[in-house]
Amino acid sequence: MPLITGETVQRVMRDLYGYEISDADANAIAHSAGAMLTLAGHLPSIGLGGIEPPFGYPVLLAEATRVAKSKS
Amino acid sequence: MSIPFQELLDFDVATLSGKLRARDISPVELAEAYLGRIEQTDGSLRAYITVTDTIARKAAKKAEAEIAAGKWRGPFHGVPIALKDLVYTKGIRTTGGSKVLADFEPDHDATVWTRLKRAGAVLLGKLNLHEFAYGITSSNPHWGIVRNPYALDRIPGGSSGGSAAAIVARSAAAAIGTDTGGSIRIPAALCGCVGLKPTWSRVSRYGVLPLAYTLDHVGPITRTVRDAAMMLQIIAGADRNDSTASRERIPDFSAGLDGSISGMRIGVIRELNDGLSDSVAHSFNAALDTLRSLGATVDAVTIPSLPMAGIMNGIITWAEALEIHEAWMRTRPQDYGDDVRRLLEGGMMTTATSYIRAQRARARTLAESLAALADRDVLVAPASAIVAPKIGTTQILEAGEDRVDVVGAILRFTQPFNSTGQPALAVPTGLSPEGLPVAMQVIGRPFGESEVIRVAAAYERARGALAPPPEIA
Repeated sequence: MPLITGETVQRVMRDLYGYEISDADANAIAHSAGAMLTLAGHLPSIGLGGIEPPFGYPVLLAEATRVAKSKS
Repeated sequence: MSIPFQELLDFDVATLSGKLRARDISPVELAEAYLGRIEQTDGSLRAYITVTDTIARKAAKKAEAEIAAGKWRGPFHGVPIALKDLVYTKGIRTTGGSKVLADFEPDHDATVWTRLKRAGAVLLGKLNLHEFAYGITSSNPHWGIVRNPYALDRIPGGSSGGSAAAIVARSAAAAIGTDTGGSIRIPAALCGCVGLKPTWSRVSRYGVLPLAYTLDHVGPITRTVRDAAMMLQIIAGADRNDSTASRERIPDFSAGLDGSISGMRIGVIRELNDGLSDSVAHSFNAALDTLRSLGATVDAVTIPSLPMAGIMNGIITWAEALEIHEAWMRTRPQDYGDDVRRLLEGGMMTTATSYIRAQRARARTLAESLAALADRDVLVAPASAIVAPKIGTTQILEAGEDRVDVVGAILRFTQPFNSTGQPALAVPTGLSPEGLPVAMQVIGRPFGESEVIRVAAAYERARGALAPPPEIA
């Protein structure tokens, strides 16, 4: 399981988001985030070889076209 | 014009529509009946955040005049509906169930509301939800705990809890919900009504406060499958304001409503047919028997990667929700409820690689589901392992005295079809021995809502009417 500690969580909150959380909350978040990232690490076991992420150029082009039209 | 209020409230949209068009019912009287019902029930239910009584009365008068003049706009003309309070309504407070947006009045309407308004629907108000749609209890710390009409000490499910509670309590004739991990189907299942999550992109998301861009769906919550089909007909379709809204052909979703399902092939998803509470297992098996009795062929199918879909959903929602909320989390984290703030803080720990991997994995599960559907018309599964738990419960004893996590026992049945984007409809299968609703999902091919509706409608017809909830004071 990825080593995410309560201290890591507290540091991210403090340094990136500018607020403090309690030790108990930080430990709970560290536990759930660690578990989630561990399971995400197992996703390749279902067979991801050759699978592209679903972020195709047609989606980008359609959105850009919409934005361009809405500004004109 | 002399139909008693109670009877008016019991009509589904299909029935109301015919009577409104024939001028057997006045839209003004109908709106008054619903506004009275909201006043009677909402102190207990907390289904509404904002009641738009003045707007409703004005729209009802307009509908009455138009119908009298022979200008009938269609089946929702004069029908009182309500919207989950993350659907933008121009000049009307849209809170997202949050403190952060407590005073937010959008400067435009969501496309779904534009289309319903154009169809003549009468807006009763904006419905309560789990804060920012990020949760399944609808126990909202800012706008009140939504309660289940069948048992006021139990959750209605969420996040569209107010939508389902209002439908079942007869304080709206139809409602709009949204679904990122099950938020249309879960409350429909736990409250005992119909919830239809269409294919991803079938309904425009423009003007709907997002939770996770690539998993969010907008759809109907209604009393009957027919009503859901009629509402989908109005809200579906391409939208120049949403480049992701599909240009796929819009069929007549009501065409198969009265059709037979004899000869249709239905797959029962093996990975979602375990860990069920006794009452859910009993009701689901009885529903399968009903489908067989209607002439359908029912057999088991497998989608091996489906148990991983919860991880896909979880990672994607963490990352996308945080991107949406990041600025507010920097400036006013104290304005979030504890549970939602913790989820967003969890998102701060996720990684870009896990997000991309989760997005890639969706294709594997969808491919397996399509393979299962290659020689079947639809798939079915329970909508939840358990009936509505008591408010505040996080674990319950089920399945041989094992402790079961409430969120997991519900979400694992619905999340996979947000990952795959397939249409999925929750339809009640009956009441448990303690009198709580139980439901199954009917799942189709992408853009196969018509088959889903056909099977669900045939089942609903064979099932007969559900016993109504106890009277709400």
